[in-house]
Amino acid sequence: MAKHDTPMLDELEKGPWPSFVTDLKRQAETHPECWDILGQLELSYEDKITHWKHGGIVGVFGYGGGIVGRYSDVPGRFPGVEHFHTIRVAQPSGMYYSTENLRALMDLWDKYGSGMTNMHGSTGDMILLGTRTENLEPLFWDLTHDLKQDLGGSGSNLRTPSCCLGESRCEWSCYDTQDICYALTMHYQDEIHRPAFPYKFKFKFSGCANDCVAAIARSDFAVIGTWKDDIQIDQAAVKEYVAGNYSVNGGSHKDGDWGPFSLKKEVIDLCPTQCMWMEGEELKIDNSECNRCMHCINVMPRALRPGKEKGATICMGAKAPILDGAQFATMIIPFIEVSKENEYENIIDVIERIWDWWMEVGKNRERVGETMQRVGLPTFLSIMEVEPIPQHIREPRSNPYVFWKEEEVPGGFERDIVAFRKRHAA
Amino acid sequence: MAMSKEEVEAAIIEKAKKAPKPQLYIKDFYKCAPDMKPRQIKNIANKLVQKGELMFWSSGSTTMYARPDRIKDEEGSEGVN
Repeated sequence: MAKHDTPMLDELEKGPWPSFVTDLKRQAETHPECWDILGQLELSYEDKITHWKHGGIVGVFGYGGGIVGRYSDVPGRFPGVEHFHTIRVAQPSGMYYSTENLRALMDLWDKYGSGMTNMHGSTGDMILLGTRTENLEPLFWDLTHDLKQDLGGSGSNLRTPSCCLGESRCEWSCYDTQDICYALTMHYQDEIHRPAFPYKFKFKFSGCANDCVAAIARSDFAVIGTWKDDIQIDQAAVKEYVAGNYSVNGGSHKDGDWGPFSLKKEVIDLCPTQCMWMEGEELKIDNSECNRCMHCINVMPRALRPGKEKGATICMGAKAPILDGAQFATMIIPFIEVSKENEYENIIDVIERIWDWWMEVGKNRERVGETMQRVGLPTFLSIMEVEPIPQHIREPRSNPYVFWKEEEVPGGFERDIVAFRKRHAA
Repeated sequence: MAMSKEEVEAAIIEKAKKAPKPQLYIKDFYKCAPDMKPRQIKNIANKLVQKGELMFWSSGSTTMYARPDRIKDEEGSEGVN
């Protein structure tokens, strides 16, 4: 494969920033097909249209996910990218790798593919970019038999679950994110490897509301650690922060000149629910008003800690734009216990309730968040068997969110919808 | 009377043979067995893939089902049986 003239791409090598063009040129020294990626991309810049064809019937036997077919629509000019399939490999929980494992993965990919990777894709798994159809089965054999790793999810499957590093390194984690991520990955092997749903479905597990895997923005089913009782306060440590003896934010901003720490300015005044105040030298918190934003805990980790009665909040329905715009997940279950003792039975129960409903009601290519929006929150809550609470509502003081059904009112009531619609058009 | 698994398999294959478009969503098979839960139908459709009666077609974001003899792969061959 010959080099191509790429004057527009070459512009992207200028300036102080890392350049994928430079990376591709370096990679092309050992994998010449990378010249054809550059050539095809330059052509796309000229034509202002992609020259990739997306999708197809490629895969490995028995799996309905993990491989995304990709082909060039100008293979005569760029034979190196005639086939350029993507492979998704399930990442370890918390993305912990040994260097030995990473080297083995790269050796495998050098053997069967372009050597290009994306660490990691937005679902969370490793993305291996660019191989030919005939390499898929041998690669899959080596991946599963030698490296003991598996493909991730794609298509209308359960996507590769992902989690933050949780209790392995983080003192704020309210449950063992890595354990539940692994347990549910094993529990739902069929749903990960074979299509099951109207569209994709993602789980993400964050140990606390800092939400380091952005579960609330990126997953259909976000399990975000929280606590039921009061934030734990060490008043002696509060005094040390005020006196400037402890570094704020665990020392992460210590190299900047931020001036002396002000508890009022940097913590109390920034509390979104204004639930903190000082009484003399003591910090007080009205925990009933706390919305678990984590800001105060982040700023003063030696003085404040999450409560002791820990569990998770379940939010549902986040997605990137496809039919409608992007949306964050909606809080559905404010607190649920997360326990490996019961093998996460209560979480599995919630997951399967939503799946059974969505598989029946969801339209083709409709994310569960879009189905929720279509039927409305009151209907969705009743399907999930969750009682509405003010926290489900953006403006509970002005939104009359309690709707009585006829059978719930003693004696019932009658209403004439036709007459009502004459006065209030739908 | 509820349909047997074999009857549902036959109905799904028939649907995949006669549908105007070769690629079908899993929901397209629900009507083949109205009394069955969607997850059961999904399991039967996936078993038919293992038997070679159906195959997956994936766009990357969505996966559909097709009869192998009705689908043309991107590499140019008609059918893949």
